[in-house]
Amino acid sequence: MPAAAQIKVMVVDDQASMRAMIRRSLQDLGFKDVRDKGAAVDALASVKSDRVHLIVSDYNMPDMDGLQFLEEVRKDPVIGKTVFIMLTGSADREVVQKAAALGVNNYLMKPFAPAALKDKIERVFGELS
Amino acid sequence: MRRINLVQGEHLATDRPDTLLSTLLGSCIAVCLHDGVAHVGGMNHFLLGQPDAGQQVCAQDMQRYGVHAMELLINAMMQRGAARSRLRAHIYGGANIIAGLGGIGHGNAAFARRFIETEGIAIGHVDVGGTRARKVEFLPFDGKARATFVAEPLPPPRVPQPVDGGELELF
Repeated sequence: MPAAAQIKVMVVDDQASMRAMIRRSLQDLGFKDVRDKGAAVDALASVKSDRVHLIVSDYNMPDMDGLQFLEEVRKDPVIGKTVFIMLTGSADREVVQKAAALGVNNYLMKPFAPAALKDKIERVFGELS
Repeated sequence: MRRINLVQGEHLATDRPDTLLSTLLGSCIAVCLHDGVAHVGGMNHFLLGQPDAGQQVCAQDMQRYGVHAMELLINAMMQRGAARSRLRAHIYGGANIIAGLGGIGHGNAAFARRFIETEGIAIGHVDVGGTRARKVEFLPFDGKARATFVAEPLPPPRVPQPVDGGELELF
């Protein structure tokens, strides 16, 4: 049973308020090392230089969207296998299918409850302690 | 002029010059966003700011919260060509109409202002608080907004059905 406290997380969302809410949800679930970025470009540079175990990224972002970010992560030989959970809007069915084709580990439709975030993470990592 | 009335939980962004958005507010908040270069405007209407720390909220209830309503509105604006850096926000509502509800309206107004400031969005008109309901009208193309007090009691809220995203069982 993996310990949430041992899992390093990068949260990526262009809205500061949403990043804060996701951070708080993760911390409530026992995650201790939670970083965040407001742009996928910055997040990509950060996780390349300081690896994380889990990326939780919004899809709908300017400049580099969540799909482009996922693609960049997956094609990197070092961080390519990082667990990636995508946050999407409720109408982004096509986005989910594209993300699945690119190798996303799971996805979560906004708005979501913290329990749903925990469930999605546990489907990848197993039950968290 | 095409008039569209928004109710709790709804949002709409448009670049049509023939559209007027309106809503009726008690303790709820409506935020009107406008990009004066792209001539895109939008409005939302939400019931509460954000869940309290540790509060258990289901996904359906999350749709009532401003933190989600604001994201939907900002995304809709950007999809129509607005730029976040050019957005200007007007904030209305947040009245404490029913005594004994613990200042929900005040809390909502505080959330809205804090959200707009956190996101670095310029603030235009702010007409919040008090004890009377408001009617808000907004011309999204021009960005002009006004709020007038409403004398009669608000009708019971018509809450839209949540959008079914349709769980895709890919995983």
